[in-house]
Amino acid sequence: MRIFGIIVVILTGALLIYAMGDFPSWADPASPAHNHVSPRYIEKSLEQTSVPNLVTAVLADYRGYDTMFETAVIFAAGVVCFFLLRIPRKDEPTVRRYRHTLTGITISVKETREIPPVLEEFERIDTLWTPPDLIIKTCCRILVPFLQLFGLYVIAHGHHSPGGGFQGGVILGASMILLAISHDLRTAIGRMSERVHAILCSVGVFIFAGTGALCLVLGLNFLDYGALARILHVDPVTARSHGILIVEIGVGLAVMTAMIWIYNNISSKGKYDEGL
Amino acid sequence: MSQHYPVLLVTVPLLSALLISIVGWLNKRFCFPIAVAALSVAAYSSVGLLFRVLDEKVILYHLGGWAPPWGIAYSVDHLSALVLVVVSVVALLNLIATQKSIEQEFSEKIGAFYTLYVLLVTGLLGIVVTGDVFNLYVLLEITALTSYGLIAMGEDRAPLASLNYVYMGTIGACLYLLGIGYLYISTGSLNMANISSILPGLYDSKVVLAAFIICMVGVCLKMAFFPLHAWLPNAYTYAPSAVSSLVAPLMTKVMIYVMIRLMLTVFTPEFIFSKLALSNTVVWLAVIAIFMGAVLALGARDMKKMLCYVIIAEVGYMVGGAWLGNRAGMTGAILHIANDALMTLCVFLAVGNIVYKVRGYAFEDLKGMFRKMPYTMTGLVAGALSMIGVPPTCGFFSKWYLISGGIQAGQYGFVAALVFSSLINAVLFFRIIEIGYYEPFRADHGHESSPVRMAEAPLTMVVPLLIVAGGLVVMGVYTGDIVTHIIEPIIPPAMGN
Repeated sequence: MRIFGIIVVILTGALLIYAMGDFPSWADPASPAHNHVSPRYIEKSLEQTSVPNLVTAVLADYRGYDTMFETAVIFAAGVVCFFLLRIPRKDEPTVRRYRHTLTGITISVKETREIPPVLEEFERIDTLWTPPDLIIKTCCRILVPFLQLFGLYVIAHGHHSPGGGFQGGVILGASMILLAISHDLRTAIGRMSERVHAILCSVGVFIFAGTGALCLVLGLNFLDYGALARILHVDPVTARSHGILIVEIGVGLAVMTAMIWIYNNISSKGKYDEGL
Repeated sequence: MSQHYPVLLVTVPLLSALLISIVGWLNKRFCFPIAVAALSVAAYSSVGLLFRVLDEKVILYHLGGWAPPWGIAYSVDHLSALVLVVVSVVALLNLIATQKSIEQEFSEKIGAFYTLYVLLVTGLLGIVVTGDVFNLYVLLEITALTSYGLIAMGEDRAPLASLNYVYMGTIGACLYLLGIGYLYISTGSLNMANISSILPGLYDSKVVLAAFIICMVGVCLKMAFFPLHAWLPNAYTYAPSAVSSLVAPLMTKVMIYVMIRLMLTVFTPEFIFSKLALSNTVVWLAVIAIFMGAVLALGARDMKKMLCYVIIAEVGYMVGGAWLGNRAGMTGAILHIANDALMTLCVFLAVGNIVYKVRGYAFEDLKGMFRKMPYTMTGLVAGALSMIGVPPTCGFFSKWYLISGGIQAGQYGFVAALVFSSLINAVLFFRIIEIGYYEPFRADHGHESSPVRMAEAPLTMVVPLLIVAGGLVVMGVYTGDIVTHIIEPIIPPAMGN
């Protein structure tokens, strides 16, 4: 069986090397990839979409439809993780443990009993609870707002520099994941509950696809941002630039929440407890 | 609104999937109606498109208002319109028919289930409607990802089967993407029509040859063509029954559509049949696929696995027919996409009904089934007759075209394989009918003489099944019209008579 695998690998490699014979030379300006479609993007994208970063123009406008479905792929990944991993609430353990934060005393409460009325001094813990490190907690807490600010900058600045919704969304998601790692998952969920991030994930993709549908309702083709000129009160070319910003925000929202959703489900094995 | 049909039939399900996901967190009762409405809109638009295509031949839609090759274009011709109707109607019927079993299996996560279901159908529709090779890849990702998730929610062994599918499916998709990369290197374009107009000057290029081979291997992996089929039987057997009856009729068929699309539109028959002369090799591979599928089906120990091997044999039919290189063969292959989707749906729905009532799909569970679930078994028999290829049902007609194509091309091995597989199908299905009809159903307390009470599946499950079963005969009766009006115009004149 192993021999068979090696033969397949060698044959595939041989095919790829054989095909290289007819490749255009390295960085050949006369190669088809440089002459057919790309010159138009390079020469016209600023004047057609008023976006200086031509990667963004291609990604979010000329081929924006692909990007919409790439966002949907990320959304689908979040839903699949939830679908496969999340354990329904009724299967949770019947005993809950609470730790008194001032004295460090742990108490167990059976499901049938009443939960202590004042919970501010108590935090809910699992059996595998370990004391958090004060230095790590504090450093990460200071870092998180700056991360989020940078994430927002990356999303908003995709028009002019490398960046955009995907990268910015990942940075925003990472800030919440950092909070979950340095404190515990319950702290992060306390900031943004499961229902909220699940709904925001759909809303993010909905902003993208909904913008496309809005263009259709306004009388042009799907995702033809030029149609937005009528409601934004700008000329059609500037409307394209604004349209790109709107969908980038949608992408950022979807990617951020999908990252959080996937992390929460995997790190707590679907139980939404303390996590790692 | 009708000029927007091509994009509506993809984006309405997409938006609805997002809406279902939101609504699933607020009120679960609304998920099912939204899903039904979304797929109804898709079915309505695809039927509307089919009628428009009959007049206008090709319908183009520029997404974002950018003309190809700079933007992405949808292009609908007779072939894609036919497959669109099949995909949307099958998905809609299956959704309605399996509502009860979905509720039985996924009460907690029903919102996520319907989200993934509608997203999967979105992906399949998008693959069929697109005229852009990269856009096709993106939608391939959506269908793959959602189907991995849906399949893994099945029985105990489903996660492992799904993991296996993840590996193989990812390799297949990567090969397809690599092939597109090679095409882009040599043509600089991603639009199908544009690529095919540039390619004739490049037929001797090694890059184009490699692109063709890599793309085809990737697509063959995705459609489970014989030596690359190993992921399919377990994945489709252990999947939840509502998922099996969605992916089994549609996934492999849509991938065969992709293969035919690449053959007819992107690489053109001149390149494939005159330049490469690969026809003989592939037809022989198809012959092996049909034989192996039939033999493995004989060895299967339960109904679902048996049907999975039958699917692998059917994939062989369509690949072989498409590669015969003549009109009759291609007609048979395209007709069989529609027919096979319907008959696979029919048998899988019947098995789904049985699983719903008996909670098992082994051959022993079928004992006394004709008394217990007569309507479901009627549906199963109709599907079985069509798979065997008995005349009034549609299975006969596509097989007829395939066999006459085989004779015209002088591929007698292919003809023999088709006949052999039909005989094996007859053996397989009559074994099921025999168990269901003659072997008595033993009640738990052991009184063999106790009368078996009728315990049919709910009406919402039986009626769609019988509609599909009736559809098999209707498709058979209208085969002539379908062939002359829909299939004939797509086959290029270069493929002879």
